[in-house]
Amino acid sequence: MKCYREEEAVDYCIVGVGSAGAVLLQRLARAGFKVVGLEAGPFWDTERDWVSDEAGSHQLYWTDLRITGGSDPIALGENNSGRGVGGGSVHWAAFVPRLHPSDFRTYTEDGVGCDWPISYKDLKPYYELIEREMPAAGPAWFTWGDPHGYPYGPHPMGGVGDTLVRGCTKLGIRVCAGGPVAILSGSRADRPHCIYRGFCIQGCKVGAKQSTLISHVPDAIAHGAEIRDRSMVARIHLGPNRRVNAVTYFDRDGREHVQRARAIIVCGYAIETPRLLFNSACPGFEQGLANSSGLLGHYLMVQAGNVVAGRFPDLVRLYKAPPAHAMTEEFYETDPKRDFARGFAVQTVGPLPIAFAKQMAKAKGAWGWGLREVMMDYNHWSTLGVLGEILPAYDNKIELAEEKDDFGLPVAHVTFSLHENDHKMIRFAVKKVEEILLAAGAKEVVEEQRYAHLVGAARMGTRPENSIVDGFCRTHDIANLFICDGSVFPTQGSANPGLTIQALAARTADYLNQQGEAIFTSSHVSREKPPVRRDLSPPVTFGSGVPRV
Amino acid sequence: MKQIGYYPGYSTLAQKDFWDDATRAVVLKRLEPPAPLRFFGPGEAERLEAVVNQILPQDDRPAERRIAIVPELDKRLYEHRGPGYRYADMPPDGEAYRMGLRAIEEIAQHLFGAEFLYLRNRERDQVLFTLHDGEPPAAKAIFARMSVKHFWLMLVNDVAEVYYAHPWAWDEIGFGGPAYPRGYMRLERGEPEPWEKPEQRYEWAAPEDSLSGECRPLPGSHL
Ligand SMILES: Cc1cc2nc3c(=O)[nH]c(=O)nc-3n(C[C@H](O)[C@H](O)[C@H](O)COP(=O)(O)OP(=O)(O)OC[C@H]3O[C@@H](n4cnc5c(N)ncnc54)[C@H](O)[C@@H]3O)c2cc1C
Ligand code: SF4
Repeated sequence: MKCYREEEAVDYCIVGVGSAGAVLLQRLARAGFKVVGLEAGPFWDTERDWVSDEAGSHQLYWTDLRITGGSDPIALGENNSGRGVGGGSVHWAAFVPRLHPSDFRTYTEDGVGCDWPISYKDLKPYYELIEREMPAAGPAWFTWGDPHGYPYGPHPMGGVGDTLVRGCTKLGIRVCAGGPVAILSGSRADRPHCIYRGFCIQGCKVGAKQSTLISHVPDAIAHGAEIRDRSMVARIHLGPNRRVNAVTYFDRDGREHVQRARAIIVCGYAIETPRLLFNSACPGFEQGLANSSGLLGHYLMVQAGNVVAGRFPDLVRLYKAPPAHAMTEEFYETDPKRDFARGFAVQTVGPLPIAFAKQMAKAKGAWGWGLREVMMDYNHWSTLGVLGEILPAYDNKIELAEEKDDFGLPVAHVTFSLHENDHKMIRFAVKKVEEILLAAGAKEVVEEQRYAHLVGAARMGTRPENSIVDGFCRTHDIANLFICDGSVFPTQGSANPGLTIQALAARTADYLNQQGEAIFTSSHVSREKPPVRRDLSPPVTFGSGVPRV
Repeated sequence: MKQIGYYPGYSTLAQKDFWDDATRAVVLKRLEPPAPLRFFGPGEAERLEAVVNQILPQDDRPAERRIAIVPELDKRLYEHRGPGYRYADMPPDGEAYRMGLRAIEEIAQHLFGAEFLYLRNRERDQVLFTLHDGEPPAAKAIFARMSVKHFWLMLVNDVAEVYYAHPWAWDEIGFGGPAYPRGYMRLERGEPEPWEKPEQRYEWAAPEDSLSGECRPLPGSHL
């Protein structure tokens, strides 16, 4: 791997080599820029570091302290964020639906949320590119939103998907089996196909599930990118002329370093990105770097992820097959017959025993002998997840807490509360999933309230007064500082965010490539749409799950 | 004694030669004798043991097949390993455990005028149900500084996490266990792999002198 000197200003320093960060790193390296990725977590050796075991997989998640409050506080850690090269794509379930065209204009269409500064059309070519780079498996015809097909065929059904398909079919609800999911249904180069072992959320040792660690990182390194793992960025430096020029980071031994760079892209995800910008407050930006709007940290979102579990007389064995393998988006759009705006999707989830026990502790109030008994019936349960659109709200936010982490940096304090539309949507969605499970033959149905997928808190928009970044992920305040990760979403739809995050990164890379040197030398902000670069994809992903550096 | 659960003769450990090395090492470590406690003092440990025995009772398991839970809780707290977040209405986890144990003592005294350790099975369950229901009748000062609900769920979650991480618990519930590099081939209709066992159900009932066999919803549940 290439090694840059710290005093030498690289072209781009990328903070966080996760879903978005790795795609940017790969494309910028391929285009010939000098790029360094600083990643707080480790560079995984997947065969040695990952295990086929629930309790043994905690190191994949961001488990440093965060404080969570509000009237509906969200669980963080393993429920939300990853740490290590590949970021959240290491432990995601890899459902990869696209956003719908309506998601980009909810304010215009439904009078709620807000419009994105870009449209579905702007992202569509990048959805198509990333779906092939992952690559995604799913039906030849996916019927919702902007209908399209997938490069790899759908997966066989596991027990949970089977109940979803049966229930939906009984009720006349259209349903999609076997995807869309970024898991190989056939092998590709030296990446093997899925073996249906159901440990996706613990990291796919097989290499069948996409993570940017195996799809983009090897190609980035092959083209001269440097990744420094176990490097926690503490602060971004503002230099003369309102331009950033370096970052301070701590290496694996806690030693402090400064890396100089001509431009910086923050890809730390929806909590760490605002936290880093707050921690980088400096004269001129007292309330946080690039935060002249005062909106940094606000409009944090999660999707409603209520799990509805149904007990079946027959065995289901929900631990087999990838947790993500069937879904319906039939309730995705606003329906004037309902008393709330926007909607939800229904997806399979396949909790392993520990996750399921925790679910039963909440859903049934089980403990003691009751917990032992319900767990003895583990194989009789099927679990479906609501994935519902919670609308952006100003008071859902990230601030700095009093507490500090091991490096002495203030940790994040997250505040989250549901609002009226969210409550109505969730009640309706849970009821609908309950009906589906009962139609499939469940004899008992219980619900656990939970949330999934952080986005927002550094939203994109048209003007400095209403947002942090523009439609190309450039901060309004600082011409050579970009934010590109889940935190830029203004709204979230009812699609899992990962595909959109990677697609946005590919689009941002095209913009940066087209702008070339201007990013480093000029403060003129171009809004010209870049041509779609189809020549920057990794050729085939290689490494069998173990990128060989 | 008969194997607990509906899959008699099923053993995930019997498949350990088919697991990858890293996973095998992690799982087999759980069979080793527990390390001495470092976070909890002897008095605390004894009381926590009694509480944990109610949260996850194992009286039906042969003594040599009981899964040690307290040492794992102790290890997590000693090493300051958290789940990645703390509720704003909670003190740090270690402190929460100490406060929670004191609260349980106060509730036991309030309800039965005796230490938790000297209560009968049903009485112990009664004490714990007051936490589950979010209505502890005593320890007001403690619960002014700590959410009952979040303490209760942390306790149940932590205990469940240790128990259901153990291969003996997997045998009990018929979970396939580690599945790499072999994978599964029979995905639908709950069919067993050739090395899994079909289900053989029998009448199961919680011991008569306990209360926790009957699940009761947490306050604020919907369905
Ligand atoms: C259990 C689970 C299942 C999921 N399933 C799905 C799914 O099926 N489909 C889907 O689309 N999404 C899913 N997600 C969500 C998805 O994983 C995330 O939305 C996505 O990975 C976020 O991408 P990102 O690039 O914004 O951030 P990440 O991928 O999280 O990358 C951020 C990286 O930045 C690093 N970092 C942060 N701060 C710093 C710093 N200061 N210095 C250095 N490095 C730093 C982090 O360590 C991390 O590696 C799931 C999430 C979880 C938890
Ligand atoms: S189910 Fe498939 S994709 Fe998921 S971890 Fe197993 S092999 Fe990988």
